[in-house]
Amino acid sequence: MSVLSNFFIKNNSCSFLSSVILASSITPSPTMSMCSTFLPQIPSNFRRNPFFSFPIKPLFSTCSKAFSSQSSKENESPARIGFLGLGIMGSPMAQNLIKAGCDVTVWNRTKSKCDPLISLGAKYKSSPEEVASSCDVTFAMLADPESAVDVACGEYGVANGLSPGKGYVDVSTVDGATSKLIGKQVKATGALFLEAPVSGSKKPAEDGQLIFLTAGDEALYEMVAPFLDIMGKSRFYLGDVGNGAAMKLVVNMIMGSMMASFSEGLLLSKKVGLDPSVLVEVVSQGAISAPMFSMKGPSMVQAVYPTAFPLKHQQKDLRLALGLAESVSQPTPIAAAANELYKVAKSHGLSDQDFSAVIEALKPQFQPSRKE
Amino acid sequence: MEVGFLGLGIMGKAMALNLLRHGFKLTVWNRTLSKCDELLEHGASVGSTPAEVVKKCKYTIGMLSDPSAALSVVFDKDGVLEQIGEGKCYIDMSTVDADTSSKISEAITKKGGYFLEAPVSGSKKPAEDGQLVILAAGEKSLYEEAIPAFDVMGKKSFYLGEVGNGAKMKLVVNMIMGSMMNAFSEGLVLADKSGLSQQTLLDVLDLGGMANPMFKMKGPGMIQNSYPPAFPLKHQQKDMRLALALGDETAVSMPVAAAANEAFKKARSLGLGDNDFSAVYEAVKVQERSD
Repeated sequence: MSVLSNFFIKNNSCSFLSSVILASSITPSPTMSMCSTFLPQIPSNFRRNPFFSFPIKPLFSTCSKAFSSQSSKENESPARIGFLGLGIMGSPMAQNLIKAGCDVTVWNRTKSKCDPLISLGAKYKSSPEEVASSCDVTFAMLADPESAVDVACGEYGVANGLSPGKGYVDVSTVDGATSKLIGKQVKATGALFLEAPVSGSKKPAEDGQLIFLTAGDEALYEMVAPFLDIMGKSRFYLGDVGNGAAMKLVVNMIMGSMMASFSEGLLLSKKVGLDPSVLVEVVSQGAISAPMFSMKGPSMVQAVYPTAFPLKHQQKDLRLALGLAESVSQPTPIAAAANELYKVAKSHGLSDQDFSAVIEALKPQFQPSRKE
Repeated sequence: MEVGFLGLGIMGKAMALNLLRHGFKLTVWNRTLSKCDELLEHGASVGSTPAEVVKKCKYTIGMLSDPSAALSVVFDKDGVLEQIGEGKCYIDMSTVDADTSSKISEAITKKGGYFLEAPVSGSKKPAEDGQLVILAAGEKSLYEEAIPAFDVMGKKSFYLGEVGNGAKMKLVVNMIMGSMMNAFSEGLVLADKSGLSQQTLLDVLDLGGMANPMFKMKGPGMIQNSYPPAFPLKHQQKDMRLALALGDETAVSMPVAAAANEAFKKARSLGLGDNDFSAVYEAVKVQERSD
C-alpha cells in the first residue's frame, strides 16, 4: 500500500526535503535534488504572522510540526500555496491549510466566495495566472472538466503563470483525457503536475479527512504530501496521469450505483407496508452496513437531501465512468441504469440537492412538468 | 427447552450447533439424513421425519433453502402439519416470499398451532458466530418465547408485525445486497481493465463512506477468482427474483435491481449457481463467447 501515515514531529525549523526523506524513508533521488529551487518551507513560527486574527498554539500547527529538525535552513521562505476554486470542497480545504499556518493565496470565479478566506488571512489575486505565478504550488478544486481546463489552460489561466520550480495540483474530478491535456500544458511550462482527485465530501473536507488519489509527477507528490496530510487522512500515489482520475471515477461509479440501489430498497420497503426507518436500522446491523447508508438513510426517509455532494456532480462522475468503461469495452449495466436515474432527478430540478435525492427519480411524478 | 430443527444446510447446521452449545436440547431432521451426523456427535437426537420432530418438541425451527422446500417440509406426507396442534409452535427461518409464508401460517394456525416467520440476514460466518440479524413477524407471544433461542443464534432481533413483513424485509435487504455486489463487481472489473490495482481499489473503498463488511470480506477472494460458498449464488438470484416480484405487485420502479438480476441469471447460466454469490463477478467479467 502506498499510503504514508500521518505524522507529527515537533520542530524548530527544517529543510523541506530532508523532512520528506525522514518521514517517508525514501532515498533522495536525482529528481529531488534537481528540484532544489522548489524547497518550500512551512513556516516554523507562524505566531509572528500578522494575518492571524485568532491565537493558535504552535503545537497544533500542522504546517510547523510537519518537519524534523535535522537541518536548519532558516533563510528559506515559507511555501507559497495557491488555491483556486472555493466551492463546497475548496473552501474548507483552503481553510484547513490557512489554519495550519500555511501562506495561502486564493482565487474564485465568484470573488465573494474568497471573502471568508481573506478574513482568515488568505491573500487574493484576481486570476488563476497571477495566483500560479505568485505561488510555489497551486491547488485547484473545480466542479467539472470544463472548468478545470478553463482555469488551467484558458486566458489568464494557470499555465501562463507557471514556470520551472513550480507545481500544479489539480484536485478536481475529471476524465483521464482532460487530466492528460492539463498535465501536458502544465509540463510544457517546465512546472510539475499532479492530478489528485479526492474521495470524500463536505464533512471530510471540513474535518481534514479526505482521501487523495494522486498520479503524475512523483517528485511533486512527495513535496506536497505534508499539505495533503493537512487536508486529508490518507493519500495514494497511483503512477501515470490518468490513474488518479480513473480510480476516482471507479470509486464514484460504485457509490452512485450503491445509492441508487439503496433508494430502490427504501422505496420498495415503504410501498409494501414496512417502515423504511426500520430498513435503515436492519441494514446498519448487517453485512451491507455502510457509513453512507447510516448517514443519508434517515434524511432520505424524511425526503430531505442537505447537500454534501451535489447530485449533478454524481451524475457527471457516472457519465465519465461510463465513458471510461466504454473506452475499455467494459459493459456496466448497473452503472448505466443508475445513471439514468440521476438524469431523471436532474430533469426534475434536483441538480443542486445532495446526490441522495436520486430516490425522488423513482417516485411517480403525476405532473410531468412539475419541478421539485 | 426441547427444540426441533429442520434443515441442516450451510445455515441450519451452524445455527443448530450454536443452540446445542448453549444448552438447548435439540431434535434434528434433514432430507439427507447423513447431514445429521455431526449434530448427533454434539448431543442432538434425530427425527426421521419432520412430523416426528414436531411430535416430540413444543417448538420447531425450520431452515430450508427456498419456498418449495419450506412448503414441502410443512405440507408433504410426514410433514410438520401432521403433528402440529394445540400449543405447538413452528418458527420458519427460511427466506421465502410473503405468499408462501402466509400459506404456511394459515395452515399452522388453523390446526391450533402458533407460527412465526423469522428469516435471517447474515450468511455462514455470522451463523457460526451467532451474529445473525433476525427479522421476525407473526405471533407476538411466540416471538417473546423464542427470544432466548434468537439471542443465541443472532446479535439482534426485530419484531416487524404481521406475517409477511419479515419475508418482505429480508427480500428488500437482499435486493440491495445483490445490487451492491454487482456494482462492486463492475468497479473491480473496470479498475482492472483500466490498468489500476484492484487491491488499491479495495483499500480506498475501505477508508470511506462506502466501506462495508461485505466488500471487506468478499473483495480479496474475488480478485483471486475464489468464491467459496457462504451464500450460494442461486439463492441470491432467487431472492432478487422474489424482490422484483414484490416490486411488480406494487408497481415500484427498480431498474438497478432488474439489471442486477440479469447478471445473476447470466452467472447461473455459466454454471456458477453453487458458488458464493460473489461469483457474479465472473458474469460481469466474461465477454468472450465460448463456442
